[in-house]
Amino acid sequence: MLRNIITLTLNDLAIAFKNKTIFLIVFIPFFVFFSLKLVDRTAAEFKKINIGLIQTETYAPVILQTIISADKIFTVSRVSGEEEGKRWLKDKKLDGLLVRSEKEKGSVVLVVLKKESLQTLSIVESFSALQKAAEGNGINWISDIKTLQEGGIQKQTLPTWILMLVLLVGFIIMPAQVAEEKEKKLLLALLQTPMREIEWLSAKVLSGMVLILAAVLSLHLLGAFNPGNILSYAAFIVAGSFCFSSYGIFLGFLCRNQASARTLGVMFYLPHLLPSALSDFSQKLTAVAPFLPSYQFYEPVKAILLDEGNLSNLSLEWIYLLAVGVVTFFLSYLLMKKRWLM
Amino acid sequence: MQMEIHNLTKVYTENRGLFPVSLEVEKGELIAVIGHNGAGKSTLLKMLASWLLPDSGHVLVDGINLENRLGVVRKIGFVPETPNLFDFFSVEYNLTLFARLFQVSPGRIEEILKEFNLLPFRDNKIQVLSKGLRQRVSIGRSLLADPPLLLFDEPTSGLDFEMTKEIYRLLRDFHASGKTIIFTSHRPEEIKTLATRVIMLHQGHLMFDGSPQDYFQSDVYNTTSLPC
Repeated sequence: MLRNIITLTLNDLAIAFKNKTIFLIVFIPFFVFFSLKLVDRTAAEFKKINIGLIQTETYAPVILQTIISADKIFTVSRVSGEEEGKRWLKDKKLDGLLVRSEKEKGSVVLVVLKKESLQTLSIVESFSALQKAAEGNGINWISDIKTLQEGGIQKQTLPTWILMLVLLVGFIIMPAQVAEEKEKKLLLALLQTPMREIEWLSAKVLSGMVLILAAVLSLHLLGAFNPGNILSYAAFIVAGSFCFSSYGIFLGFLCRNQASARTLGVMFYLPHLLPSALSDFSQKLTAVAPFLPSYQFYEPVKAILLDEGNLSNLSLEWIYLLAVGVVTFFLSYLLMKKRWLM
Repeated sequence: MQMEIHNLTKVYTENRGLFPVSLEVEKGELIAVIGHNGAGKSTLLKMLASWLLPDSGHVLVDGINLENRLGVVRKIGFVPETPNLFDFFSVEYNLTLFARLFQVSPGRIEEILKEFNLLPFRDNKIQVLSKGLRQRVSIGRSLLADPPLLLFDEPTSGLDFEMTKEIYRLLRDFHASGKTIIFTSHRPEEIKTLATRVIMLHQGHLMFDGSPQDYFQSDVYNTTSLPC
Protein backbone atom coordinates (compact mmCIF):
# COMPACT_ATOMS: atom_id res chain seq x y z
CA MET A 1 0.00 0.00 0.00
CA LEU A 2 2.74 2.44 1.00
CA ARG A 3 4.63 1.61 -2.18
CA ASN A 4 1.57 2.47 -4.24
CA ILE A 5 1.09 5.74 -2.38
CA ILE A 6 4.73 6.68 -2.98
CA THR A 7 4.51 5.65 -6.63
CA LEU A 8 1.34 7.69 -7.14
CA THR A 9 2.75 10.66 -5.27
CA LEU A 10 5.84 10.62 -7.47
CA ASN A 11 3.58 10.34 -10.48
CA ASP A 12 1.57 13.37 -9.32
CA LEU A 13 4.77 15.34 -8.80
CA ALA A 14 5.97 14.31 -12.25
CA ILE A 15 2.68 15.54 -13.69
CA ALA A 16 3.02 18.79 -11.73
CA PHE A 17 6.49 19.19 -13.18
CA LYS A 18 5.33 18.32 -16.69
CA ASN A 19 2.38 20.73 -16.67
CA LYS A 20 4.53 23.44 -15.10
CA THR A 21 2.50 23.66 -11.86
CA ILE A 22 5.79 23.19 -10.03
CA PHE A 23 6.95 26.53 -11.39
CA LEU A 24 4.28 28.23 -9.28
CA ILE A 25 5.83 26.81 -6.15
CA VAL A 26 9.06 28.57 -7.03
CA PHE A 27 7.56 31.57 -8.74
CA ILE A 28 5.14 32.83 -6.05
CA PRO A 29 7.65 33.08 -3.17
CA PHE A 30 10.23 34.56 -5.51
CA PHE A 31 7.78 37.11 -6.85
CA VAL A 32 6.45 38.13 -3.41
CA PHE A 33 10.02 38.49 -2.13
CA PHE A 34 10.93 40.64 -5.12
CA SER A 35 7.80 42.81 -4.79
CA LEU A 36 8.34 43.37 -1.09
CA LYS A 37 11.87 44.51 -1.86
CA LEU A 38 10.38 47.19 -4.07
CA VAL A 39 7.91 48.45 -1.46
CA ASP A 40 9.37 51.41 0.47
CA ARG A 41 9.74 49.88 3.88
CA THR A 42 13.13 50.89 5.26
CA ALA A 43 13.16 53.01 8.38
CA ALA A 44 14.88 55.90 6.58
CA GLU A 45 12.33 55.94 3.79
CA PHE A 46 9.46 55.78 6.22
CA LYS A 47 10.62 58.41 8.67
CA LYS A 48 11.53 61.05 6.18
CA ILE A 49 8.31 62.76 5.25
CA ASN A 50 8.28 64.80 2.10
CA ILE A 51 6.28 67.88 2.99
CA GLY A 52 5.33 70.59 0.53
CA LEU A 53 5.28 74.31 1.32
CA ILE A 54 3.83 76.95 -0.95
CA GLN A 55 6.44 79.58 -1.81
CA THR A 56 4.07 82.55 -1.61
CA GLU A 57 2.26 81.38 1.53
CA THR A 58 2.81 83.10 4.88
CA TYR A 59 3.06 80.35 7.47
CA ALA A 60 3.29 80.92 11.23
CA PRO A 61 7.05 81.39 11.91
CA VAL A 62 7.12 78.79 14.68
CA ILE A 63 5.68 76.13 12.40
CA LEU A 64 8.00 77.03 9.55
CA GLN A 65 11.14 77.03 11.72
CA THR A 66 10.20 73.76 13.41
CA ILE A 67 9.64 71.99 10.11
CA ILE A 68 12.86 73.27 8.57
CA SER A 69 14.94 72.44 11.62
CA ALA A 70 13.44 68.93 11.89
CA ASP A 71 15.43 67.78 8.86
CA LYS A 72 15.66 64.22 10.17
CA ILE A 73 11.90 63.93 9.99
CA PHE A 74 10.95 66.15 7.05
CA THR A 75 12.23 66.84 3.59
CA VAL A 76 10.82 70.20 2.56
CA SER A 77 9.87 70.91 -1.04
CA ARG A 78 8.75 74.30 -2.26
CA VAL A 79 5.90 74.50 -4.76
CA SER A 80 4.73 77.57 -6.64
CA GLY A 81 1.09 77.22 -5.66
CA GLU A 82 -1.63 74.98 -4.26
CA GLU A 83 -2.45 73.49 -7.69
CA GLU A 84 1.15 72.48 -8.29
CA GLY A 85 1.30 71.02 -4.79
CA LYS A 86 -1.78 68.91 -5.47
CA ARG A 87 -0.26 67.69 -8.70
CA TRP A 88 2.90 66.70 -6.85
CA LEU A 89 0.78 64.87 -4.30
CA LYS A 90 -0.91 62.88 -7.05
CA ASP A 91 2.47 62.10 -8.59
CA LYS A 92 3.64 60.96 -5.16
CA LYS A 93 6.42 63.55 -5.11
CA LEU A 94 4.94 64.82 -1.83
CA ASP A 95 3.45 63.05 1.17
CA GLY A 96 1.59 66.13 2.35
CA LEU A 97 1.06 69.78 1.47
CA LEU A 98 0.68 72.55 4.04
CA VAL A 99 -1.73 75.40 3.31
CA ARG A 100 -2.30 78.31 5.70
CA SER A 101 -5.63 77.95 7.53
CA GLU A 102 -8.15 80.69 6.85
CA LYS A 103 -10.24 79.78 9.87
CA GLU A 104 -7.68 79.43 12.64
CA LYS A 105 -4.83 81.87 12.78
CA GLY A 106 -1.41 80.27 13.36
CA SER A 107 -2.43 76.87 12.13
CA VAL A 108 -2.29 75.01 8.81
CA VAL A 109 -4.46 72.74 6.72
CA LEU A 110 -2.78 69.47 5.75
CA VAL A 111 -3.61 68.34 2.21
CA VAL A 112 -3.00 64.61 1.58
CA LEU A 113 -3.90 62.05 -1.03
CA LYS A 114 -5.77 59.77 1.36
CA LYS A 115 -6.83 60.34 4.94
CA GLU A 116 -6.57 56.66 5.87
CA SER A 117 -2.93 56.10 5.04
CA LEU A 118 0.31 55.48 6.85
CA GLN A 119 1.81 58.69 5.50
CA THR A 120 -1.03 60.86 6.85
CA LEU A 121 -0.83 59.20 10.24
CA SER A 122 2.90 59.68 10.26
CA ILE A 123 2.65 63.39 9.38
CA VAL A 124 0.02 64.10 12.05
CA GLU A 125 1.98 62.22 14.73
CA SER A 126 5.21 64.01 13.83
CA PHE A 127 3.53 67.43 13.90
CA SER A 128 1.92 66.66 17.22
CA ALA A 129 5.26 65.61 18.73
CA LEU A 130 7.09 68.64 17.35
CA GLN A 131 4.37 71.00 18.55
CA LYS A 132 4.54 69.59 22.08
CA ALA A 133 8.31 70.00 22.10
CA ALA A 134 8.11 73.60 20.80
CA GLU A 135 5.05 75.03 22.53
CA GLY A 136 3.61 72.55 24.96
CA ASN A 137 -0.16 72.28 24.76
CA GLY A 138 -1.37 75.03 22.41
CA ILE A 139 -3.84 75.06 19.58
CA ASN A 140 -3.22 72.29 17.05
CA TRP A 141 -0.89 73.30 14.27
CA ILE A 142 -2.92 71.13 11.91
CA SER A 143 -6.44 72.48 12.17
CA ASP A 144 -7.90 70.40 9.33
CA ILE A 145 -7.00 67.59 6.92
CA LYS A 146 -8.16 67.73 3.33
CA THR A 147 -7.95 64.73 0.99
CA LEU A 148 -7.62 64.76 -2.74
CA GLN A 149 -9.33 61.40 -3.12
CA GLU A 150 -12.92 61.58 -1.99
CA GLY A 151 -14.89 58.77 -0.38
CA GLY A 152 -14.19 56.41 2.45
CA ILE A 153 -11.80 53.54 2.63
CA GLN A 154 -14.30 51.30 0.84
CA LYS A 155 -14.40 53.53 -2.22
CA GLN A 156 -10.67 54.07 -2.14
CA THR A 157 -10.06 50.34 -2.40
CA LEU A 158 -12.59 49.99 -5.22
CA PRO A 159 -10.04 50.44 -8.07
CA THR A 160 -7.95 47.62 -6.62
CA TRP A 161 -10.96 45.30 -6.47
CA ILE A 162 -11.90 46.18 -10.03
CA LEU A 163 -8.35 45.53 -11.19
CA MET A 164 -8.43 42.17 -9.43
CA LEU A 165 -11.69 41.22 -11.14
CA VAL A 166 -10.51 42.24 -14.58
CA LEU A 167 -7.20 40.42 -14.20
CA LEU A 168 -8.90 37.35 -12.74
CA VAL A 169 -11.07 36.95 -15.82
CA GLY A 170 -8.26 37.91 -18.17
CA PHE A 171 -5.41 35.86 -16.76
CA ILE A 172 -7.07 32.98 -14.93
CA ILE A 173 -10.40 32.24 -16.61
CA MET A 174 -9.72 33.01 -20.28
CA PRO A 175 -6.44 31.07 -20.71
CA ALA A 176 -7.99 28.02 -19.02
CA GLN A 177 -11.05 28.20 -21.30
CA VAL A 178 -8.96 28.41 -24.45
CA ALA A 179 -6.60 25.66 -23.31
CA GLU A 180 -9.56 23.42 -22.47
CA GLU A 181 -10.98 23.82 -25.97
CA LYS A 182 -7.57 23.01 -27.39
CA GLU A 183 -6.97 20.07 -25.05
CA LYS A 184 -10.34 18.45 -25.80
CA LYS A 185 -9.94 19.14 -29.55
CA LEU A 186 -13.14 21.19 -29.48
CA LEU A 187 -11.49 24.07 -31.27
CA LEU A 188 -10.38 21.71 -34.03
CA ALA A 189 -13.96 20.45 -34.29
CA LEU A 190 -15.18 24.02 -34.64
CA LEU A 191 -12.53 24.68 -37.27
CA GLN A 192 -14.13 21.94 -39.38
CA THR A 193 -17.13 24.19 -39.83
CA PRO A 194 -17.35 27.30 -42.03
CA MET A 195 -16.61 29.38 -38.92
CA ARG A 196 -13.74 31.84 -39.47
CA GLU A 197 -10.86 32.03 -37.02
CA ILE A 198 -11.60 35.67 -36.41
CA GLU A 199 -15.20 34.84 -35.50
CA TRP A 200 -14.10 32.37 -32.86
CA LEU A 201 -11.59 34.85 -31.45
CA SER A 202 -14.11 37.70 -31.41
CA ALA A 203 -16.66 35.49 -29.64
CA LYS A 204 -14.07 34.53 -27.03
CA VAL A 205 -13.08 38.16 -26.44
CA LEU A 206 -16.73 39.15 -26.18
CA SER A 207 -17.44 36.40 -23.67
CA GLY A 208 -14.51 37.60 -21.56
CA MET A 209 -15.75 41.19 -21.77
CA VAL A 210 -19.26 40.16 -20.74
CA LEU A 211 -17.87 38.30 -17.72
CA ILE A 212 -15.83 41.33 -16.69
CA LEU A 213 -18.67 43.79 -17.22
CA ALA A 214 -21.05 41.58 -15.22
CA ALA A 215 -18.53 41.33 -12.38
CA VAL A 216 -17.87 45.09 -12.28
CA LEU A 217 -21.57 45.90 -12.49
CA SER A 218 -22.33 43.51 -9.63
CA LEU A 219 -19.63 45.16 -7.54
CA HIS A 220 -21.16 48.60 -8.10
CA LEU A 221 -24.69 47.42 -7.42
CA LEU A 222 -23.74 45.57 -4.24
CA GLY A 223 -21.58 48.38 -2.88
CA ALA A 224 -23.79 51.20 -4.21
CA PHE A 225 -20.63 52.87 -5.51
CA ASN A 226 -21.00 55.94 -7.68
CA PRO A 227 -18.82 55.54 -10.79
CA GLY A 228 -18.22 59.30 -11.17
CA ASN A 229 -17.90 60.29 -14.82
CA ILE A 230 -19.89 57.37 -16.17
CA LEU A 231 -18.88 57.70 -19.83
CA SER A 232 -15.17 57.85 -19.08
CA TYR A 233 -15.52 55.03 -16.58
CA ALA A 234 -17.43 52.85 -19.06
CA ALA A 235 -14.85 53.60 -21.76
CA PHE A 236 -12.03 52.34 -19.52
CA ILE A 237 -13.89 49.28 -18.33
CA VAL A 238 -14.65 48.35 -21.95
CA ALA A 239 -11.06 49.02 -23.07
CA GLY A 240 -9.65 47.13 -20.07
CA SER A 241 -11.96 44.16 -20.52
CA PHE A 242 -11.06 44.00 -24.23
CA CYS A 243 -7.34 44.28 -23.48
CA PHE A 244 -7.21 41.62 -20.77
CA SER A 245 -9.67 39.19 -22.42
CA SER A 246 -7.58 39.31 -25.57
CA TYR A 247 -4.34 39.00 -23.57
CA GLY A 248 -5.77 35.98 -21.70
CA ILE A 249 -6.79 34.27 -24.94
CA PHE A 250 -3.27 34.75 -26.24
CA LEU A 251 -1.86 33.12 -23.09
CA GLY A 252 -4.29 30.23 -23.61
CA PHE A 253 -2.83 29.71 -27.07
CA LEU A 254 0.64 29.33 -25.57
CA CYS A 255 -0.54 26.35 -23.51
CA ARG A 256 -1.33 22.78 -24.48
CA ASN A 257 -3.63 22.04 -21.54
CA GLN A 258 -5.59 23.61 -18.69
CA ALA A 259 -2.97 22.90 -16.05
CA SER A 260 -0.32 24.79 -18.02
CA ALA A 261 -2.79 27.61 -18.65
CA ARG A 262 -3.53 27.92 -14.94
CA THR A 263 0.17 28.10 -14.13
CA LEU A 264 0.91 30.64 -16.84
CA GLY A 265 -2.19 32.64 -15.83
CA VAL A 266 -0.99 32.99 -12.23
CA MET A 267 2.48 33.90 -13.46
CA PHE A 268 0.95 36.82 -15.35
CA TYR A 269 -1.78 37.63 -12.82
CA LEU A 270 0.47 38.42 -9.85
CA PRO A 271 3.04 40.56 -11.70
CA HIS A 272 0.21 42.58 -13.22
CA LEU A 273 -1.79 42.92 -10.02
CA LEU A 274 0.77 43.60 -7.33
CA PRO A 275 2.96 46.35 -8.84
CA SER A 276 -0.13 48.28 -9.90
CA ALA A 277 -2.10 47.80 -6.71
CA LEU A 278 0.93 48.42 -4.49
CA SER A 279 2.16 51.42 -6.44
CA ASP A 280 0.35 53.65 -3.93
CA PHE A 281 2.80 52.50 -1.29
CA SER A 282 6.01 52.72 -3.22
CA GLN A 283 7.75 55.21 -5.44
CA LYS A 284 9.93 52.40 -6.80
CA LEU A 285 6.88 50.45 -7.88
CA THR A 286 5.36 53.62 -9.32
CA ALA A 287 8.43 53.84 -11.53
CA VAL A 288 8.17 50.21 -12.70
CA ALA A 289 4.40 49.77 -12.93
CA PRO A 290 3.65 52.11 -15.89
CA PHE A 291 5.15 49.54 -18.25
CA LEU A 292 2.32 47.16 -17.36
CA PRO A 293 -1.08 47.39 -19.07
CA SER A 294 -2.66 46.69 -15.68
CA TYR A 295 -1.26 50.00 -14.38
CA GLN A 296 -2.55 51.82 -17.47
CA PHE A 297 -5.96 50.46 -16.52
CA TYR A 298 -5.72 50.87 -12.75
CA GLU A 299 -4.51 54.46 -12.63
CA PRO A 300 -7.21 55.91 -14.94
CA VAL A 301 -9.95 53.94 -13.16
CA LYS A 302 -8.63 55.27 -9.85
CA ALA A 303 -8.47 58.79 -11.24
CA ILE A 304 -12.04 58.59 -12.55
CA LEU A 305 -13.47 57.03 -9.40
CA LEU A 306 -11.55 59.08 -6.84
CA ASP A 307 -10.15 62.21 -8.47
CA GLU A 308 -12.86 63.18 -10.97
CA GLY A 309 -10.62 62.22 -13.89
CA ASN A 310 -12.08 61.83 -17.35
CA LEU A 311 -11.30 60.23 -20.67
CA SER A 312 -10.05 63.42 -22.34
CA ASN A 313 -7.11 63.58 -19.87
CA LEU A 314 -6.50 59.85 -20.07
CA SER A 315 -6.72 59.14 -23.78
CA LEU A 316 -3.14 57.83 -24.03
CA GLU A 317 -3.81 55.15 -21.42
CA TRP A 318 -7.05 54.25 -23.20
CA ILE A 319 -5.29 53.89 -26.55
CA TYR A 320 -2.51 51.87 -24.91
CA LEU A 321 -5.07 49.37 -23.56
CA LEU A 322 -6.73 49.05 -26.95
CA ALA A 323 -3.36 48.63 -28.65
CA VAL A 324 -2.33 45.80 -26.29
CA GLY A 325 -5.71 44.16 -26.94
CA VAL A 326 -5.33 44.45 -30.71
CA VAL A 327 -1.73 43.14 -30.71
CA THR A 328 -2.57 40.10 -28.55
CA PHE A 329 -5.69 39.46 -30.64
CA PHE A 330 -3.56 39.42 -33.77
CA LEU A 331 -0.95 37.13 -32.18
CA SER A 332 -3.72 34.73 -31.13
CA TYR A 333 -4.99 34.76 -34.70
CA LEU A 334 -1.55 33.80 -36.02
CA LEU A 335 -1.19 30.99 -33.49
CA MET A 336 -4.67 29.73 -34.31
CA LYS A 337 -3.85 29.71 -38.01
CA LYS A 338 -0.73 27.68 -37.26
CA ARG A 339 -2.77 25.25 -35.08
CA TRP A 340 -0.30 26.06 -32.30
CA LEU A 341 -0.10 23.24 -29.71
CA MET A 342 -3.44 21.83 -30.86
CA MET B 1 -10.37 12.93 -59.27
CA GLN B 2 -11.86 13.80 -55.89
CA MET B 3 -8.63 14.20 -53.96
CA GLU B 4 -5.03 14.65 -55.02
CA ILE B 5 -2.27 14.37 -52.46
CA HIS B 6 1.08 15.72 -53.62
CA ASN B 7 4.26 15.00 -51.62
CA LEU B 8 2.50 15.47 -48.30
CA THR B 9 5.13 15.56 -45.55
CA LYS B 10 5.13 15.93 -41.79
CA VAL B 11 8.33 15.17 -39.88
CA TYR B 12 8.28 14.53 -36.13
CA THR B 13 11.59 12.68 -35.83
CA GLU B 14 13.94 10.97 -38.25
CA ASN B 15 11.67 7.96 -38.73
CA ARG B 16 8.38 9.25 -37.32
CA GLY B 17 5.85 11.28 -39.21
CA LEU B 18 4.80 11.12 -42.81
CA PHE B 19 7.46 11.31 -45.50
CA PRO B 20 6.55 12.53 -48.94
CA VAL B 21 3.36 10.70 -49.82
CA SER B 22 1.46 11.20 -53.07
CA LEU B 23 -1.93 9.64 -53.78
CA GLU B 24 -5.01 10.12 -55.85
CA VAL B 25 -8.47 9.28 -54.56
CA GLU B 26 -11.38 8.62 -56.92
CA LYS B 27 -14.98 9.42 -56.05
CA GLY B 28 -16.80 6.54 -54.34
CA GLU B 29 -13.70 4.70 -53.09
CA LEU B 30 -13.62 3.11 -49.64
CA ILE B 31 -10.00 3.18 -48.61
CA ALA B 32 -8.44 1.48 -45.60
CA VAL B 33 -5.20 3.07 -44.41
CA ILE B 34 -3.26 0.48 -42.43
CA GLY B 35 0.08 0.23 -40.69
CA HIS B 36 1.74 -0.30 -37.32
CA ASN B 37 1.30 2.20 -34.51
CA GLY B 38 3.34 5.26 -35.44
CA ALA B 39 3.25 4.41 -39.15
CA GLY B 40 1.71 7.79 -39.99
CA LYS B 41 -1.94 6.75 -40.53
CA SER B 42 -3.49 9.26 -38.14
CA THR B 43 -1.01 11.93 -39.21
CA LEU B 44 -2.19 11.49 -42.82
CA LEU B 45 -5.87 11.68 -41.85
CA LYS B 46 -5.35 14.65 -39.53
CA MET B 47 -3.60 16.55 -42.30
CA LEU B 48 -6.44 15.75 -44.69
CA ALA B 49 -8.84 17.05 -42.04
CA SER B 50 -6.71 20.21 -41.53
CA TRP B 51 -6.07 19.26 -37.91
CA LEU B 52 -2.36 19.26 -38.67
CA LEU B 53 -0.56 21.50 -41.10
CA PRO B 54 1.94 19.71 -43.38
CA ASP B 55 5.60 20.67 -43.42
CA SER B 56 5.44 20.52 -47.20
CA GLY B 57 3.27 19.23 -50.02
CA HIS B 58 -0.33 20.02 -50.75
CA VAL B 59 -3.75 18.47 -51.14
CA LEU B 60 -6.44 19.31 -53.66
CA VAL B 61 -10.08 18.44 -53.00
CA ASP B 62 -12.18 18.76 -56.15
CA GLY B 63 -9.41 21.02 -57.41
CA ILE B 64 -9.47 23.28 -54.34
CA ASN B 65 -6.33 23.51 -52.21
CA LEU B 66 -6.85 22.26 -48.66
CA GLU B 67 -5.21 25.46 -47.40
CA ASN B 68 -8.41 27.20 -48.48
CA ARG B 69 -10.19 25.87 -45.41
CA LEU B 70 -13.48 27.61 -46.01
CA GLY B 71 -13.45 26.34 -49.60
CA VAL B 72 -13.24 22.67 -48.62
CA VAL B 73 -14.83 22.57 -45.18
CA ARG B 74 -18.20 21.39 -46.50
CA LYS B 75 -16.55 18.72 -48.63
CA ILE B 76 -14.81 16.80 -45.83
CA GLY B 77 -16.23 15.26 -42.67
CA PHE B 78 -13.75 13.97 -40.08
CA VAL B 79 -14.53 11.56 -37.26
CA PRO B 80 -11.58 11.40 -34.83
CA GLU B 81 -10.73 8.31 -32.80
CA THR B 82 -11.85 10.01 -29.57
CA PRO B 83 -15.10 11.92 -30.01
CA ASN B 84 -14.48 15.62 -29.41
CA LEU B 85 -17.85 16.87 -28.20
CA PHE B 86 -18.97 19.47 -25.67
CA ASP B 87 -19.34 17.05 -22.73
CA PHE B 88 -21.41 19.28 -20.46
CA PHE B 89 -24.11 19.74 -23.07
CA SER B 90 -26.76 17.47 -24.53
CA VAL B 91 -26.64 15.51 -27.77
CA GLU B 92 -29.15 17.90 -29.31
CA TYR B 93 -27.19 20.98 -28.17
CA ASN B 94 -24.01 19.63 -29.76
CA LEU B 95 -25.75 18.95 -33.06
CA THR B 96 -27.62 22.28 -32.98
CA LEU B 97 -24.40 24.25 -32.38
CA PHE B 98 -22.69 22.70 -35.39
CA ALA B 99 -25.83 22.86 -37.52
CA ARG B 100 -25.93 26.61 -36.91
CA LEU B 101 -22.28 26.97 -37.86
CA PHE B 102 -22.89 24.93 -41.03
CA GLN B 103 -26.09 26.91 -41.58
CA VAL B 104 -28.15 23.78 -42.15
CA SER B 105 -31.83 23.58 -41.28
CA PRO B 106 -33.07 22.29 -37.90
CA GLY B 107 -34.79 19.52 -39.87
CA ARG B 108 -31.34 18.07 -40.61
CA ILE B 109 -30.76 17.62 -36.86
CA GLU B 110 -33.93 15.54 -36.64
CA GLU B 111 -32.77 13.46 -39.61
CA ILE B 112 -29.40 12.80 -37.97
CA LEU B 113 -30.98 11.94 -34.61
CA LYS B 114 -33.29 9.47 -36.37
CA GLU B 115 -30.65 8.00 -38.70
CA PHE B 116 -28.23 7.29 -35.86
CA ASN B 117 -30.86 6.08 -33.37
CA LEU B 118 -30.12 9.02 -31.09
CA LEU B 119 -33.70 10.18 -30.52
CA PRO B 120 -33.95 8.55 -27.04
CA PHE B 121 -30.70 10.27 -26.03
CA ARG B 122 -31.29 13.72 -27.49
CA ASP B 123 -31.51 15.39 -24.06
CA ASN B 124 -28.73 13.36 -22.44
CA LYS B 125 -25.46 15.06 -21.68
CA ILE B 126 -22.53 13.72 -23.68
CA GLN B 127 -20.59 12.93 -20.50
CA VAL B 128 -23.11 10.27 -19.46
CA LEU B 129 -23.13 8.46 -22.83
CA SER B 130 -21.16 5.30 -23.64
CA LYS B 131 -18.24 5.52 -26.06
CA GLY B 132 -20.33 3.89 -28.78
CA LEU B 133 -23.08 6.48 -28.44
CA ARG B 134 -20.56 9.31 -28.40
CA GLN B 135 -19.06 7.90 -31.57
CA ARG B 136 -22.51 7.91 -33.17
CA VAL B 137 -23.02 11.54 -32.18
CA SER B 138 -19.58 12.36 -33.56
CA ILE B 139 -20.35 10.64 -36.86
CA GLY B 140 -23.76 12.33 -37.00
CA ARG B 141 -22.13 15.71 -36.46
CA SER B 142 -19.64 15.12 -39.28
CA LEU B 143 -22.57 14.39 -41.62
CA LEU B 144 -24.57 17.53 -40.81
CA ALA B 145 -23.38 19.31 -43.96
CA ASP B 146 -23.61 16.06 -45.96
CA PRO B 147 -19.94 16.11 -47.11
CA PRO B 148 -19.05 13.85 -50.05
CA LEU B 149 -15.73 12.77 -48.44
CA LEU B 150 -15.58 11.17 -45.00
CA LEU B 151 -12.47 10.48 -42.93
CA PHE B 152 -12.60 8.05 -40.00
CA ASP B 153 -9.66 7.61 -37.64
CA GLU B 154 -9.89 4.14 -36.05
CA PRO B 155 -13.71 4.21 -36.12
CA THR B 156 -14.15 0.95 -34.19
CA SER B 157 -11.38 1.46 -31.64
CA GLY B 158 -12.59 0.60 -28.14
CA LEU B 159 -16.08 -0.39 -29.27
CA ASP B 160 -17.86 -3.63 -28.39
CA PHE B 161 -18.90 -6.21 -30.98
CA GLU B 162 -22.43 -4.86 -31.48
CA MET B 163 -21.29 -1.28 -31.87
CA THR B 164 -18.50 -2.34 -34.23
CA LYS B 165 -21.09 -4.08 -36.44
CA GLU B 166 -23.19 -0.93 -36.33
CA ILE B 167 -20.24 1.18 -37.50
CA TYR B 168 -19.55 -1.31 -40.33
CA ARG B 169 -23.19 -0.99 -41.40
CA LEU B 170 -22.93 2.79 -41.38
CA LEU B 171 -19.73 2.76 -43.44
CA ARG B 172 -21.38 0.46 -46.03
CA ASP B 173 -24.46 2.69 -46.15
CA PHE B 174 -22.35 5.83 -46.65
CA HIS B 175 -20.37 4.07 -49.39
CA ALA B 176 -23.56 2.83 -51.05
CA SER B 177 -24.91 6.40 -51.06
CA GLY B 178 -21.89 7.44 -53.15
CA LYS B 179 -19.64 8.94 -50.52
CA THR B 180 -15.87 8.55 -50.61
CA ILE B 181 -14.49 7.13 -47.37
CA ILE B 182 -10.99 6.90 -45.98
CA PHE B 183 -10.53 5.11 -42.66
CA THR B 184 -7.57 3.92 -40.62
CA SER B 185 -7.67 0.42 -39.21
CA HIS B 186 -5.81 -2.36 -37.46
CA ARG B 187 -8.48 -5.00 -38.09
CA PRO B 188 -8.15 -7.46 -41.02
CA GLU B 189 -11.91 -8.10 -41.18
CA GLU B 190 -12.51 -4.39 -41.78
CA ILE B 191 -10.11 -4.44 -44.71
CA LYS B 192 -11.52 -7.66 -46.14
CA THR B 193 -15.21 -6.84 -45.78
CA LEU B 194 -15.28 -3.07 -46.25
CA ALA B 195 -12.37 -1.67 -48.22
CA THR B 196 -12.18 -1.30 -51.96
CA ARG B 197 -8.57 -0.16 -51.72
CA VAL B 198 -5.76 -0.60 -49.20
CA ILE B 199 -2.99 1.89 -48.46
CA MET B 200 -0.25 0.65 -46.19
CA LEU B 201 2.17 2.94 -44.42
CA HIS B 202 5.34 1.91 -42.61
CA GLN B 203 7.45 4.39 -40.66
CA GLY B 204 5.82 7.19 -42.59
CA HIS B 205 6.45 5.72 -46.03
CA LEU B 206 3.88 4.38 -48.48
CA MET B 207 4.52 0.61 -48.75
CA PHE B 208 1.44 -0.63 -50.61
CA ASP B 209 -1.41 0.84 -52.60
CA GLY B 210 -3.88 -1.54 -54.24
CA SER B 211 -6.93 -3.74 -53.84
CA PRO B 212 -7.52 -5.80 -50.67
CA GLN B 213 -7.14 -9.01 -52.71
CA ASP B 214 -3.74 -7.91 -53.98
CA TYR B 215 -2.73 -6.80 -50.50
CA PHE B 216 -3.38 -10.19 -48.89
CA GLN B 217 -1.37 -11.91 -51.62
CA SER B 218 1.48 -9.43 -51.60
CA ASP B 219 4.98 -9.73 -50.18
CA VAL B 220 4.25 -6.72 -48.02
CA TYR B 221 1.46 -8.62 -46.26
CA ASN B 222 3.62 -11.72 -45.83
CA THR B 223 6.67 -9.86 -44.53
CA THR B 224 5.18 -7.16 -42.34
CA SER B 225 2.64 -9.26 -40.41
CA LEU B 226 0.09 -6.55 -40.93
CA PRO B 227 -2.65 -6.34 -40.00
CA CYS B 228 -2.90 -8.35 -36.71
